[in-house]
Amino acid sequence: MERLLIQNSLQEKFMDAIISFDDSSDIFTVTVKKQVIVDVILFIKEELGFQFLTDLCGIHYPDQEFQLGVVYHLHNLPLNTRIRVKTFTSLAEPEIDTLTTVFSGANWMERETYDFFGIIFTNHPNLIRILNVEYLDYFPMRKEYPLEDQTRTDKDDRFFGR
Amino acid sequence: MEQLEKEHILVRPEDYDKNFSTLNLGPTHPATHGIFQNILTMNGETIIDAEQTIGYIHRSFEKLAERRAFYQITTLTDRLNYCSSPINNIGWQMTIEKLLGVETSKRIDYMRIIVMELARIADHLICNSVIGVDSGALTGFVYVFQQREKIYEIYEEICGARLTTNLGRIGGFERDFSPSVVKKIKEFISNLPKVIRQFEKLLYRNRIFMDRTINVGGISAERALNYGFTGPCLRAAGVDYDVRAMNPYSSYNDFEFTIPVGTNGDTYDRFCVRQEEIWQSISLVKNALENLPEGSYHMDVPEFYLPPKEDVYSKMESLIWHFKIVMGEIEVPVGEVYHSVEGGNGELGFYLVSDGGRTPYRLHFRRPCFIYYQAFPEMVRGSFLSDAILTMSSMNVIAGELDA
Repeated sequence: MERLLIQNSLQEKFMDAIISFDDSSDIFTVTVKKQVIVDVILFIKEELGFQFLTDLCGIHYPDQEFQLGVVYHLHNLPLNTRIRVKTFTSLAEPEIDTLTTVFSGANWMERETYDFFGIIFTNHPNLIRILNVEYLDYFPMRKEYPLEDQTRTDKDDRFFGR
Repeated sequence: MEQLEKEHILVRPEDYDKNFSTLNLGPTHPATHGIFQNILTMNGETIIDAEQTIGYIHRSFEKLAERRAFYQITTLTDRLNYCSSPINNIGWQMTIEKLLGVETSKRIDYMRIIVMELARIADHLICNSVIGVDSGALTGFVYVFQQREKIYEIYEEICGARLTTNLGRIGGFERDFSPSVVKKIKEFISNLPKVIRQFEKLLYRNRIFMDRTINVGGISAERALNYGFTGPCLRAAGVDYDVRAMNPYSSYNDFEFTIPVGTNGDTYDRFCVRQEEIWQSISLVKNALENLPEGSYHMDVPEFYLPPKEDVYSKMESLIWHFKIVMGEIEVPVGEVYHSVEGGNGELGFYLVSDGGRTPYRLHFRRPCFIYYQAFPEMVRGSFLSDAILTMSSMNVIAGELDA
């Protein structure tokens, strides 16, 4: 499907709730405000035919104002086009509306995102940890959680990536 | 005591007075074929509801990957769907190649197709023979397991490992197919059809097997799409979505193959779809091997592909590259890519975000069976316990892929 067509119809429908369009990566990317995320995805699904939710995952950018993000990959199977939708929220208010009302498959993917990033999906039917133990008191995929013991002196970060 | 028990078995308060019993299926039950738990609420032998608990072998690959050099992540992907590790390995390598913009030659593509299709055969053989075992037919399982052993011998010949293969490198293969690999593949491909035919004779029109599987654990195409089903489970429901045909990676468009689809999405359809895919894979391997072009088995990507050992000892530049690669000091361009391959269970996706560093900024694995296993309660509700076991094995839930 024409990227321009998607862009125009989204722009027309949601106006300033759309933050940006990005054509630079492999999949056309739309970044939207979190208040309209379910409406946008419902519109993309019903009107533009992206009826398959391929993937849903979280991401954390500690340097941004809106640190926590959710990335949705949708697929239009008949036309074989993909679209990536992103939305960001702040660490203080990590609530984003759930997508389980649109896609049943979003259930576990949102639980996984909650489990690792602490993004709270409001109105989710069963938002509990899925892969980690229930009593874990941090969200391990956030960048501030160190992977290795940070007190080690024999390993210099300059030599081992980050 | 009673209260404590009730809390632990997760019976809802409104069901306390009813005569339901709760059954723990797993986490280490032989019929789950992996470590995950199903808490079933039963009314006699009928399943009222199921609740899955997963995460028993979670190893946090996505976090680990954020501190590893790119070539070291291949070993993590081995342990996702360990029944078909080469597909995961090659899928990951193709993701980095996509980010770097490396175009692979036809020879590499065809070699990859051969290996990936062998892996698919191994994956489907295990799954289908285990459906047989769970319905009481052990013979077929033992019979085809010998063939999986032959596939593992081919892996061993190609890369030296059997289960967790770490096969291939970024930009191609570690070494070329030796004459013995080609001989073994040819031998395997010529012997396999006879075995598969006999296996099919055992089960396809077997009255007991048909009664146990037809109209068991079915799901409609619409629900399957809504749940994010991919792979044989989606195709059994009647949707002909196959990543190999839809987004032909690795020169799959050079070959002709059919995508088998089912109608009911039940256990029997899933069995038949997998069985037919084995035949398609056999012909793909045969065609790819016959048309294997001459040329190099790796591309020229000095930043990622280790130089030959003799050059490392004699040439300055090769020594530098060798050191930089092994120490993971290679920086990749900024960008984000999503690449997917058709794994044994469906669309295996890699979502990679790079900030220009030496490790991924974020790597997410789209694991097909994690996504479709959540439909299990809906598929078994109202059916018998013994049918639930068959439904589970026909979904081919691999604990490694489930938990990442």
